[in-house]
Amino acid sequence: MTLSYSLPCLLGLPLLGVVAIALGAPARRTALWVSILNCVPAFLSFGLVLREGEILFGPQVTSIREVFPVQFRLGMDGLSLPLILLTLVVTLSAVGVARADVKRSKEYFLCLLLVGLGALGAFLSVDLFYFFSFHEVALIPSFLLIGIWGQGDRTGAAWRMTLYLMLGSLVLLLGLIGLVWAAPEAARTLDWRVLSETLRANPIRSENQYWLAALLLVGFGTLVSLVPFHSWAPGGYASAPAPAAMLHAGVLKKFGLYGLLRLALPMTPLGWKEISWLIGLMLAANILYLGLASLAQRDLRWLLGFSSAMHMGTVFLGLIGGTVLGLGGALVLMVGHGFSAALGFAVAGEIGNRAGTTWMQDLGGLAQRAPKLWFYLLVAGMASIGLPGMANFAGEIMIFFGAWSAHPILVGVGAWGVVLSSIAMLRAIRSISTGACSAALVTHETADLNGAKEIWPFAILTFFLFAIGLIPNLILGPARPVLERILQP
Amino acid sequence: MSGWFCPEVLLVLTGVVLILADSLIPLGKKGWLPGLALVLSFVLLGWTLWRSGQPMPPSWGNLFVTDGLSSVFKPFFVLCLLGVTFMSVRYPMGKEEVVRAEFLALPFFSTAGLSLLASARDFLAIFVALELVAVSMYLLAAFHRSRVASLEAGIKLLVMGGLSTGFLVMGIAWLYAATGSTDFSRILLDQAGHSASLGFLLAVGLILTGLGFKIAAVPFHAWAPDVYEGAPTPITSFLAIASKAAGFVLLLRVFGFGAFALDSVAVVFRPVLLTLGIATVTLGTLAALPQRNLKRYLAYSGIAHAGYMLLALGTLGEAGMGTVVGYLWVYLLSTFPVLIFILEMERVHGSADLRHLDGLGQRDPGVALGLALCFLSMAGLPPLLGFSAKLSVFTTLWNAGEIPGLLVGVVMAVVGLGFYLMPIRAMYWEREADAVPAQRFPSFLVWILLLAGFLQLLLGFQPRPLVRLVERSLAPSSTAIFQEK
Repeated sequence: MTLSYSLPCLLGLPLLGVVAIALGAPARRTALWVSILNCVPAFLSFGLVLREGEILFGPQVTSIREVFPVQFRLGMDGLSLPLILLTLVVTLSAVGVARADVKRSKEYFLCLLLVGLGALGAFLSVDLFYFFSFHEVALIPSFLLIGIWGQGDRTGAAWRMTLYLMLGSLVLLLGLIGLVWAAPEAARTLDWRVLSETLRANPIRSENQYWLAALLLVGFGTLVSLVPFHSWAPGGYASAPAPAAMLHAGVLKKFGLYGLLRLALPMTPLGWKEISWLIGLMLAANILYLGLASLAQRDLRWLLGFSSAMHMGTVFLGLIGGTVLGLGGALVLMVGHGFSAALGFAVAGEIGNRAGTTWMQDLGGLAQRAPKLWFYLLVAGMASIGLPGMANFAGEIMIFFGAWSAHPILVGVGAWGVVLSSIAMLRAIRSISTGACSAALVTHETADLNGAKEIWPFAILTFFLFAIGLIPNLILGPARPVLERILQP
Repeated sequence: MSGWFCPEVLLVLTGVVLILADSLIPLGKKGWLPGLALVLSFVLLGWTLWRSGQPMPPSWGNLFVTDGLSSVFKPFFVLCLLGVTFMSVRYPMGKEEVVRAEFLALPFFSTAGLSLLASARDFLAIFVALELVAVSMYLLAAFHRSRVASLEAGIKLLVMGGLSTGFLVMGIAWLYAATGSTDFSRILLDQAGHSASLGFLLAVGLILTGLGFKIAAVPFHAWAPDVYEGAPTPITSFLAIASKAAGFVLLLRVFGFGAFALDSVAVVFRPVLLTLGIATVTLGTLAALPQRNLKRYLAYSGIAHAGYMLLALGTLGEAGMGTVVGYLWVYLLSTFPVLIFILEMERVHGSADLRHLDGLGQRDPGVALGLALCFLSMAGLPPLLGFSAKLSVFTTLWNAGEIPGLLVGVVMAVVGLGFYLMPIRAMYWEREADAVPAQRFPSFLVWILLLAGFLQLLLGFQPRPLVRLVERSLAPSSTAIFQEK
C-alpha cells in the first residue's frame, strides 16, 4: 500500500524542519510552514483511515526470538486519528502563538517542533519500543523550554517536571516489559496490535494482571498528572512559556490516557477491573482536591494548570466506566480538553506578554481594552466548564452516562467537579472582565490581538472546539469499532 | 606461521618500533613520531577488525582461546588505543616533551595485554596479561612528573593496583590448591556435579575482589575519582574505558563461559554480584551529584555504569552476558567523545571544571549538541543508544525476577538523569554570556562530537548492528567482525 507512506511523511516533515532550523533557516517561518505542510499527509492518512479502518506502514511483525526485535512500524486507526489531529492543530497553533522576536529563537522553535514530533511519533508508533521512545523525545526539549524561556520558578519547575516524568516513564517501562514477557514465548512481539490479540487469546494470570495494571496505572498516571502523582503539572504549566504549555497540557498529557486505552484496558482487563476502586479514589481526589486548589489560585496560569490537571479525573471516570459510551466520552473529552487547554494557555500567554502579569486582580478591564482576547478567554473558560456546544460538554455528558451504572457515586463527584470548575473559571473571568483597567493594559498600544495574523492560532482552536462539540461523531464514528474491540472479552 | 600476525604480536612490535625510532632519531627531528603512532594505531584497528578471529600462535599452548567474545573485544581495545593515541597527540606535555615516545608507546603494550586478556582461558595467562596492562598504566598515570596531582594518581593507582593484584594472586593460589589446575576447562570439569568446597569459594571471592578493583565496583571504587582527575586525560580515558571493559570481559569469561560457570558458584555468588551491583549503582549515582569537575563526574558516572553492568551480570544467564557486552560498547561510544572534549577543554580553559561549560550552547552550538546527546545517551534516555543498554539491563533483571535490583536500577536511572542534565543545564541556560575564551575549540572537535551524537541517535533508533555484535560475542566459535563465515 504505497499511500501509507503518508505516515512516515508525517514524522519526516517536522524532522526536516528541525534539521533546516538547526542549519540556519529562518526559525519561525520554517516551523510554521512545516506545521502547515504536515496537514497534507495528515489529510491523506485521515481519508485512508476513514475508508479502510486502519493503515499500517513498515515491515512484517517478527516474534521476539530474535534477540532485540524492534521494528519501525507506524499505524493509524480510528483511535489515534483524533489524537493526531489534535497534535497537528495544537502544534500549528503553538508555533503561531510563539513570537519570532523571542530570545534564541532558533533553539526555541527547534524545541517546539521536537515536542510536537515526539507526540506525533508516539501516537503513530505500533512498536512498543518506538511508542515509548518517541514520547521521551519530548522530555529534554520541554526541560529546555521551561528552563530557558520560562517564568517564575522556572528552574525548580523544569527539574521537577523532568525528573517526575522520567520516573513515571520508567515505571511505565517496567509495565511494558511485563506485558511483553507475559505473552507465551513463541508469540512474544513488541507490536501492540499483535500483542493485544495474543493476550486476548491467552489472558495473563489474574494476579499478574493486577500488578501489571498497577504499574501501567502509576506509569501512565504520572504522565497524566493523576493525584498523587500530579505535583509536577500545575507549576510546570505555569512556568512554561505559552507554546510549551499548550503542547504539554494539550497534547503530551494525552499520551498517558492513550496508552491506558491502548494497552492497559485490552491487555489487563481483569487487573484493570480489580484496581478500579483505587482509580476511583484517585480520580475523586483529582476532581475534588485539585478543584478546590484551583479555587484558591490568584494567577491565571496557575488556575489553568490546576484546572487542566483536574479534568483528567473525569477522563479516568470514563476509562473505568466499562462501557463504550464512557470510553467514547473519554476520547472526546481528551481531544476537547486538548483544544481548550491549549486555547487557555495561549490566551494566558498573550495576556502575560501584553500586560506583563497574569495576576487576575491586576487584569481588570480586559474586556474593554482587549475584547478579542477576552472573547477567546471566555471560550476557553466556557469549554473547560463544559458549556453545551463545545467538545468538553459532549465528552463529559457521555462519560457521566457511560459510568452511571458502574460508579454512580463517582458520577456525583464528577458533577461536583463541574461545579467547582465553574466557580473557579467564572470568578476568574469576572475579575478579569470587570473592574478598573490595569496600568499596563492602559499604556500598551496594541492591547488586543491585532488582525488576522495574530488571531488565526486562536481561531482554529476555537473552530475545532465547536466542531467536535456540535458533531462528536466526527471523532466517534471512526473510533467506535476500535473502542468496542477494547471492551470485548 | 599462522597466528604470528595476531593483533597482540603486532601491537607489541609497534610499541617497540616507536621506542626504537625515538632512540635512533636525533633530538630535533622527532616531530613526526606522534603522527606515526596515530597512523600505526589506525592500521592496527583495521587489521584487528579484519583478523580478530584469527587463532593465536600454536606455540602459546593452551593458554588462549579465540571465540566470539575475544573477537568482539579485541577491536574494542584497539579502538580505545586509537582514541588514546589521538588524544596523546593532542595532549600538551610541557617540559616532558623529551620522553614523549614512551607516552605514545606504552598504551600499545597495554593494549596488547588487554587483547590477551580477552582471549585468556587460563588464570596464569590472565595474571601475566593483567600485569602487562597494569605496569604500563602505573607509569602513564604518573607521567606528568612535574604535577603533584599526576604523581598522586600514579601512587594511588600503584597501591590499589598492587592490592588488587595481591587479591588476585591469592585467589589463583587457593584455586590451584582446591582444584589442582589453573585452566578454565579443567577447573570446570573438576568442579562440575558436586558442591563447591570452601577453599574453592574463597578463591572465587578473592578473584572477584581483585577484578572488582579493575572495574571500580563499590567498595573497591575509591581510587577511581582521584586517579581519573590526576592522570593525564588520555590515560584517564584508557583507565575509564579500556581497563574497566577488560575487567568485565574477565568477569564474563570466568562467571559466564569459563571456570566458574557452575551452579554451586552461582548459588553463592549470584546474590553477591547483585548486591555489589546495587551498591555500585547507588553510590556512583548519588556521589556524582555534587561533583564540579568533569573528570571526577565521569569517574562516578563510570562507577554507576559498572553497577548496571554488574546487575546484568549478576543474573548469570546468557541474556545478562549479552547485555554486558552491548553495554560496554555503548559505554565506549558515549563516553569517549566526552573525554576527547575534556582534553580540548583542558587545553582551552586549563581545567576540567564544570563551570567552563556555562553558555557553551551559545558559544559553540555544534559541540554543545554533540555533548548533550552523549550525556543523555549515558542517562539512558530514548531514543538514544544508552536507552537500549538500560532497557536490556531492566529486561534481564525482570526475567530473572530480581525485583530489588530492578527497583534500585529504575530509581537510580531517574537520579542519574538528574546528574546528566547538570552539564546540559550549564551549557544551555546557565550564565549565558560567560566570558568567551581567548582560544577557540579546534574545528575537528565539532565534527567528532556531532558524529558521536549522531551515532547515538542512529544506533538508538536502530540498535540492530549492536545486537549483531552481541550475538556474535556469545557464539562459541570465532568470526572476525568483518569476516562473514
